[in-house]
Amino acid sequence: MYSQHYSAPPFPQQSSFAPPYQYYQQQPPQPPPVPVYHPDPATFRRDYANQLAELKVNSRPIIQNLSMVAQEFARFADVVAQCLESHIRRAPMLPPQVPQWMKLPAFYLLDAISKNVYDPYARHFAAFVVPLFLETYAQVDEATRSKMEEMLITWRSGSPTNKELFGVSAQIAIERGVWGDGAASNSTNSFYSGSGQITKTQVLTELEFTLNQKERAVQSNPYDTTSQNHINILHQLRKLVEAGVSQEELQQILTQLRSLVRSAVTAPPPPPVPAPSPPAPVAAPAPWPAQPSYPIQQQASFPPAAPMYPFPTSTYDNVKTETPPSVIPSASGSGLSAQSSILNLLSTLKKAGIVPSESGTPLGAGATAQEESKPEPPNLERESSRNYRDAILMHDVKLTSTDITRKRPDVVEFLYDRLAAQCKQCGIRFPDTVFGKKRMEGHLDMHFKQNRKANQNIGRGHSRSWFVGIEDWVHDLSLDVKGKGREDGARPMNAKAAAAAEVAKRDADLRAQYVVVPPGEEAKPVSCPICKEHFKSEFLEDDEDWVWRNAVLKDERVYHATCHADTANGLALRLRSELAHLRSHSGTPESAAGSARMVTPPSGLKISEALRSVSLSPSPESKLVGTKRKVDDTERSLSGEADGTPPLKKMALAVDSTPE
Amino acid sequence: MASEGPVETREWTLDPETEYRFELDPGTSLAVKLIRGHAEVFGAELAANKPYLFGSECKAAIFTWRGCTIEVTGQPSTEYVSEETPMAAYANLHMAFEQMRVRALRDLRGSPVPEYEREKPTDPPRVLVLGPENSGKTTVCKILINYAVRAGQRWSPLLINTDTSEGGWAAPGALSAAPVHSPLPTCSPASPLGSAATSAPTALSSNALLPLAYWYGHAESKRNPLLMERIIRNLGENVTDKFQVDLEGRTAGLIVDTPSSFAAGPGSSSDDRHRLIKACVDAFKINVILVVGHEKLNVEMQRAYSSLLTVVKIPKSGGVVELDHLYRERVHNYQLHTYMYGQIIPPPAGISSASLGGETLSDLVLSPSSTVINFGDLSIFRIGAETMAPSSALPIGAARAVSETQAVPIDPSQPGSGLLNAVLAVLAPPVNTDESERYDEEILDLPISGFIIVTNLDIPHRKMTILAPNQGSIVGRTAVVGSFEWQE
Repeated sequence: MYSQHYSAPPFPQQSSFAPPYQYYQQQPPQPPPVPVYHPDPATFRRDYANQLAELKVNSRPIIQNLSMVAQEFARFADVVAQCLESHIRRAPMLPPQVPQWMKLPAFYLLDAISKNVYDPYARHFAAFVVPLFLETYAQVDEATRSKMEEMLITWRSGSPTNKELFGVSAQIAIERGVWGDGAASNSTNSFYSGSGQITKTQVLTELEFTLNQKERAVQSNPYDTTSQNHINILHQLRKLVEAGVSQEELQQILTQLRSLVRSAVTAPPPPPVPAPSPPAPVAAPAPWPAQPSYPIQQQASFPPAAPMYPFPTSTYDNVKTETPPSVIPSASGSGLSAQSSILNLLSTLKKAGIVPSESGTPLGAGATAQEESKPEPPNLERESSRNYRDAILMHDVKLTSTDITRKRPDVVEFLYDRLAAQCKQCGIRFPDTVFGKKRMEGHLDMHFKQNRKANQNIGRGHSRSWFVGIEDWVHDLSLDVKGKGREDGARPMNAKAAAAAEVAKRDADLRAQYVVVPPGEEAKPVSCPICKEHFKSEFLEDDEDWVWRNAVLKDERVYHATCHADTANGLALRLRSELAHLRSHSGTPESAAGSARMVTPPSGLKISEALRSVSLSPSPESKLVGTKRKVDDTERSLSGEADGTPPLKKMALAVDSTPE
Repeated sequence: MASEGPVETREWTLDPETEYRFELDPGTSLAVKLIRGHAEVFGAELAANKPYLFGSECKAAIFTWRGCTIEVTGQPSTEYVSEETPMAAYANLHMAFEQMRVRALRDLRGSPVPEYEREKPTDPPRVLVLGPENSGKTTVCKILINYAVRAGQRWSPLLINTDTSEGGWAAPGALSAAPVHSPLPTCSPASPLGSAATSAPTALSSNALLPLAYWYGHAESKRNPLLMERIIRNLGENVTDKFQVDLEGRTAGLIVDTPSSFAAGPGSSSDDRHRLIKACVDAFKINVILVVGHEKLNVEMQRAYSSLLTVVKIPKSGGVVELDHLYRERVHNYQLHTYMYGQIIPPPAGISSASLGGETLSDLVLSPSSTVINFGDLSIFRIGAETMAPSSALPIGAARAVSETQAVPIDPSQPGSGLLNAVLAVLAPPVNTDESERYDEEILDLPISGFIIVTNLDIPHRKMTILAPNQGSIVGRTAVVGSFEWQE
């Protein structure tokens, strides 16, 4: 079977010709040796046609050989195309005992050449592929048809750029021919146009195709939970479609399926080796993650191919997994996105009432649909914790002094083997599952952010934070535990703690700023234009100067450093400029000291209130503002006895502050 | 320690289930790099090819389950490989606790329970670790915690330290509790359980723990058992509250480290010991007591509690080092220094870049702030009298002039206030600002915000210089003095 052939287990190097491939009806005949020669077109045509005639069975070596010849003699592309076309057309004229599926291997060859060599063959084939395909499709039996349909689906993204192998129009033409009008109408590709009906059969075929793909992925990698998940969803979808859904839903399903296929195509099971991309004739990123390697003798038997073949020494396999680098980075990402998109689809369907979230559905799909209706990340996590639980409970350990000393523990399995992914930086391990990988990504992100922060912080001192209060400690849901938030077991609610610490630090820094009181103005009450509160002067012994603490001089005005910093953000800034604007309208003198006092009360006050509410709104900020106020309050209450330095000044201050 | 002779690097190849033990002299440091295989320090796995630093007279062991090769740089005073470790038993303990955790989680999530499991309890492990001095209690706690957080199940068990001679994340003299999210590193006895949060970005959350700490103020539990009991019960209430809020977090359980005086020891009366153990069992709803290598205590505990909970005697590691009083004094100094200035360990010669349990060194250096405050800015108290004979030593019928839990205000201007160089715990402001809600002993129930040191007293000007961990204002706060002093 073609599709099986495509997705042989990831590295079937040794046993490439094992029976599981229905593809091989019999042991492949030894391909005829091709001497080193420089044939003229006629000779080449004869030779190629002869070899093609051997292709009576589904034989991979023959197909591969022929496709390599085609690659080698790309200059005779037209000849190859003609040979192939006539071979396929001639097939019906073979003796009647030769079944119709005989044509299939020839199509596989066409497929292989177009995908592997692509240029110029796809161009040549495009000229006749539509009628050829449709004619053949009409002649063959049901089984062959479904094989052809599968192949057709792979053509959608068969080109090296992941586009339609033979062009959009050819693809649409064939699909229309196969599934009726509108078959291709709702492809993710916007090139498709048309608004006809999508048939249930078409959707089911594609579903089946995707399902097969996924099942094979799971076979080759039993731990591929994403694919397992997909399979579940696909089964549900199939039930749904069988039960009957609206056109719209069919379209949605198709779209999602295609994107899923696309992503699967670009995500080969083994981690792709970032190899330099071979020139044009790269293996197309077709859904054949791996192919058996060429038998060595065969390469030897086909010397001309070797030098030109971009990967002469490596096995065909490796070539296959080395998809062009352009698609590699997207591999995992698109896999995830495809998953989420198909999840989205399910949930949309659910919302639309197509998939009932209650059991006892009229569609009959409900029971399973409901059971598996939430394959969201938490479920993945539950799944993994369920597995863990079962594994842990398998062990028989009693909490007694004798029992714990008697047994050899299997702890290594749990601490190392089951957690195969390790952070190279700090040694923390994660399960080697999709879920674990996601957590590890989060963990590495955290490292990255930490490092970046550390670099930004160079030269700036750090200090120990205050401990948290009871309330915070109790309610710190330690976000990383069982649920949202941290993905690494690293910073717990530290977002919050760090933010608080940062805010506290910034606040302290701001408060440490001061402005020297202009001589002679010590007695004048000066207030911050933002909060309208008076500055408290204090005597700095080191400098022997009166200063305003927590103050900055900006544009000849003295602001509270904290107020200024608060307002210097975004919206607040705009409001402030409006405030200044208003002020200038009111004609208050702009000089620093004393000016603020004379602001016309109504407008200024309103704005400052607005400012306050603005600066309160962003969450980390709000905390800051809150604490600041508190501190200010305590400071004020304490200021009487606290800032006591020269008594004379203090008296003056006391007098000053009373009028307020 | 920098320079002094050529770079000395040795490779040790460890067989499976053996450990490389080392002890450091004051002022020396050691770097250990994992070359091959897997290795762990008290349950925290080492990342390969990263030098891990140890200092401040650290005594530790690199254990391997399946064999490894390590490269050691530096001059430990003692180093050897031991084949006899209690790790297998500890691992079995871990497995047993994991079973309790997964059952608790299953119960919480209402997952189906197979028939043969129905009889099993669904309580998460809440473990009290008891043992005499130098039995490795803290190490057991650490290994069990580290294994739990490494299970990949995102357990965040609570680690509770009631050993005030050690101090945990705070400073010696404090009792504290913190949820642990990632393995606790080992690099110095100054931060045996990871370290409390700083403003620096840290790679390991175990270097940014958020403990809830209460101030007891003394190294020995016998000094004021009444106060300690009260603090234990306070902590227990907070833990209960926390578990009520965070039901899934509850399933990870908790582990309580205790001072050796709970186990036995001269001077602490058996009544006090049992009262404190009882307080722990009640407060933290203990369901497993581990007795580290102490037959008599094990029997005692079996008698007292075996009807209510599981008492397990566990083997003690042969690697534990007898620690003398002077060593503990030095460790107190290291701890306070680390609290203020961060973890500073000069790497041994030949090591240029190293990490402390996965942490970049520069990130662990902290700058405290030294400020002058007025006497009036801070209300300072002492709990109980400065020197207090045990109640049993008082003449019969005599009452104390100052009860054990009475907050006595201290006037810094009085000579002999004992504040110079004293470690003061700054308490969190009371939650109830409403005066009518206040009560006399409220000060005993307030957690710690941080510690300050009085570095200078200027009685004529009524000012004092304090070293505070950060620049946050402490004006108007309440501080409590204990019996710890620290001088840089």
